[in-house]
Amino acid sequence: MAEYYGWTGKTLRVDLGAGSIATEDTVARYRDYLGGTGIGYKVLWDEVPAKTKSFDEANKLIVAAGPLTGTSAPCGGRTSVTAIFPTVSPRELVATGHMGGEWGAELKYAGWDAIIIEGRANKPVYLAIIDDQVELRDAAHLWGNGILRATSAICQEMGPETQVAAIGQAGENLVRLATIVNSYSHSAGGVGGVFGSKGLKAIAVRGSGAVRIAADKKAWRDLIRYVLSLFGANNQHVVPSTPQPWAEFSSPGSRWTARKGLYWGAADPPVETGECRADDLNRMAYRTAKATYDLGPNAEPFTVRMGGCHSCPIRCHAHLDVPSVEKHGVSRYSASTCVGWGARNFFRSFPDGRRGMTSVEAAVVGRNLADDFGIWTNYGQLQRDFRYAYDNGLIQANLPAAEYKSIPWERYEAGDPGFLQEIYRRIAFKEGEFGQAFAEGSGRLAERWKFPDGYYKDRSSGWWKMGHPQHHAADEAGQSGVLINMMYNRDCQCHSHSNFIRNGLPLRIQKEIGAKLWGAGALDEGDNFTRMNPDKARFALWALLRKELHDSLTLCNWMYPLAASPHRSRSYEGDNGAEALLYTAVTGDKKDAAQLDLVAERIFALHRALTVRDMGTMDMRSRHDTVPDWVFDHPADVQPFTPGHSKMDRQDIEVARDMFYELLGWDKKTGAPTRAALERLGLEDVASGLARIGLLPG
Amino acid sequence: MTKPIEIHACGTRRDFLKYSLGTTAALSAIAGWAGVQDASPPVILENAGGLLITDTTRCVGCRRCELACTECNDGRSQPALSRIKVGRNYNFGPRGQRAGMHRSMGEFGNFRIVQDTCLQCPHPVPCATACPHDAIIADGMTKARVVDSDKCTGCRICLRACPWEMIVFDREASKASKCFLCNGKPQCVDACPAQALRFLAWRDLTRAVPVRQATVPLTKDGVSATCRPCH
Repeated sequence: MAEYYGWTGKTLRVDLGAGSIATEDTVARYRDYLGGTGIGYKVLWDEVPAKTKSFDEANKLIVAAGPLTGTSAPCGGRTSVTAIFPTVSPRELVATGHMGGEWGAELKYAGWDAIIIEGRANKPVYLAIIDDQVELRDAAHLWGNGILRATSAICQEMGPETQVAAIGQAGENLVRLATIVNSYSHSAGGVGGVFGSKGLKAIAVRGSGAVRIAADKKAWRDLIRYVLSLFGANNQHVVPSTPQPWAEFSSPGSRWTARKGLYWGAADPPVETGECRADDLNRMAYRTAKATYDLGPNAEPFTVRMGGCHSCPIRCHAHLDVPSVEKHGVSRYSASTCVGWGARNFFRSFPDGRRGMTSVEAAVVGRNLADDFGIWTNYGQLQRDFRYAYDNGLIQANLPAAEYKSIPWERYEAGDPGFLQEIYRRIAFKEGEFGQAFAEGSGRLAERWKFPDGYYKDRSSGWWKMGHPQHHAADEAGQSGVLINMMYNRDCQCHSHSNFIRNGLPLRIQKEIGAKLWGAGALDEGDNFTRMNPDKARFALWALLRKELHDSLTLCNWMYPLAASPHRSRSYEGDNGAEALLYTAVTGDKKDAAQLDLVAERIFALHRALTVRDMGTMDMRSRHDTVPDWVFDHPADVQPFTPGHSKMDRQDIEVARDMFYELLGWDKKTGAPTRAALERLGLEDVASGLARIGLLPG
Repeated sequence: MTKPIEIHACGTRRDFLKYSLGTTAALSAIAGWAGVQDASPPVILENAGGLLITDTTRCVGCRRCELACTECNDGRSQPALSRIKVGRNYNFGPRGQRAGMHRSMGEFGNFRIVQDTCLQCPHPVPCATACPHDAIIADGMTKARVVDSDKCTGCRICLRACPWEMIVFDREASKASKCFLCNGKPQCVDACPAQALRFLAWRDLTRAVPVRQATVPLTKDGVSATCRPCH
């Protein structure tokens, strides 16, 4: 095959039923979709029949890196796993689980951009890839085991450098809330059960090849240093959390938490995070002291180091050594970030309070169980659902008496982290009504146990729509946040907007930057929200298109886009074209930011078309792009647009929909893409396909 | 407040740090000694001028050092070709899984990531001694042990000779390659976001760093003749 820059040029197609393995030219077939989710949506559109269900043999898994994966384009170590997604309710629709770690880069070094998995194996198998040697191997000895044991056994067979993405017992047992995990702590949510339904335990990769870079060596190195110079800390927070001699500003909520006197206390010997100047690229890895940010000051002495994905200098995964958790039957070592520590939220209270040591232990016990069984938290909704059901007596009401009694609730009430063994085991093996119900994910659980109306309407439940929670919505970005949360079939998993709003810069400077990128009306004064305007729609669209771009290139949407930077000399502006610079340098395909955004829009529109097709309706506006009542009704005693509240107005959100659809050229009445909009993006075949089934407006 | 980021060209020699080469005079004397009868040059190489020093408590496992090595020197991203090695220790540490998972090092162990670097061995330099083509020599400026690609035939004997497995093989060129300290400006050190690598004056670490492989005794005509007078 031809040699390319960025892309390896080869996509692997594995038919598990036939046991056949074939190779396709990535660039010839998928270049217009870049990689990642772009390839995923394209394959689902072309090859998977409408209304296919997640665990049907006809469903396909597209496990895809992108042209930047495997290079030192900072934070390019991500992989998108796209399929008809099990947790979407009531009807299963397209969505993607995203994972970082080492796996995607290793896939590229083995010579592959993406893997398309189809069919169903008649006995458990794993896919073994060593460069161009690809084979399906028997996985009978792995089936029934957790992710750690599966990974260990495969590495014994293929070598210690092998990168393994495996499912645990949850995926095998078709738990809808199941993950696939690589590199110890990097999971892609929701897709584990699809692997299980296909009898595919793992994909293991070892690569010794190269990703070629089009730019000359010096130009590439200069570009990398330029992009890194614009980086802040995790989530592109660009000011430190505490006052620092070198910094004009600080903001307590920032993730740039390094400071003198704060240590990786369990490093051997301890390492001080210390001062991390914005211009010191050799101390970037200390900027984000995430253990204490996530878990409180108790986590400091247990922090071994920070870690994270291939090629990422920011390191958001806290690596802990907590010896006291061994009494709960798990390893003392644990690594994760953010909601990965969320198991403590199962509990109502702990003996030493919500930020005490017991909560740290609960976070570690839960993380270790979840990433071995392979259970997905659904952005914390699993824990919120458990609390909702428990607090409202719904667990007792729905479990047979004997089963309810078999659960040691006194340990739960006592805040005993070991209780989590009960929860995770029951879910992973679908034990009893408890396990079967929670395994189904929020939408089907709420349906099965007939959660009252309040669940869908009450802010505290976290529910947004279609089985998934809100994810940086109105409370952070008003109408823009609402629009962003409407568009996907799972939680929107978009951080472009939230990163900017929470970057720690004074509002005045944020507004100056925002005015240039999206228009003067895009940002409100903190939580003093104003009525909808076109700039807010532009802000939302920018956030969504960049998210889709990142999931295709691949880049981390927790760091990009680089709208802001830590530098006063730049008036704190970042570079909105950073992704385009990296893409052009790696691939040699010259594109500016606007041209690359157009590719992202093509990918985004294809996601929309797939959703229209599989829902069997054009009426996205009222049937898909929905908003939970609490956004408009909570709190009851204040009016929308009252300073200090993110309460929205129903009529105003209708205006938001109009403005957003108009930007994309979608039909305002239905919110479905029009022929003109699709043809503008080179999706004539998609327009014709929708027209044939009567789902094209006009 | 920022200052412009200083940009160094890849592989430039202009930033090379001068090292005191205290052994030069002594080596010259040996080289001039007439005990060597055949055409092979003496296998005694001058000590290197610099060395990469690693701090495993600081390494965060991002592998940007590996990428800098091959992107800056070879124009492609290829950890297998990198002359600094992190990936092979990433999962389970240098000793693999035999001690169990959580009792070992690496991402699946106690989280310690070990970076392997070339020790720029003193005499006898295993890779240089083993090379049948005298293709591994001391670089004129840094005295790093480098592969002379004009002489290298790609026989890979050096890959088995290095006890620390620090020689790599470039499949595209069909030549061996190894750490040459980027002519005095190591790109891996420059790329490390955690100050886990340092470039310091050379010292002998060959007895301090555990070996990775049993080496195959390899001799060639003439080499033993150069050894015999001293041993």
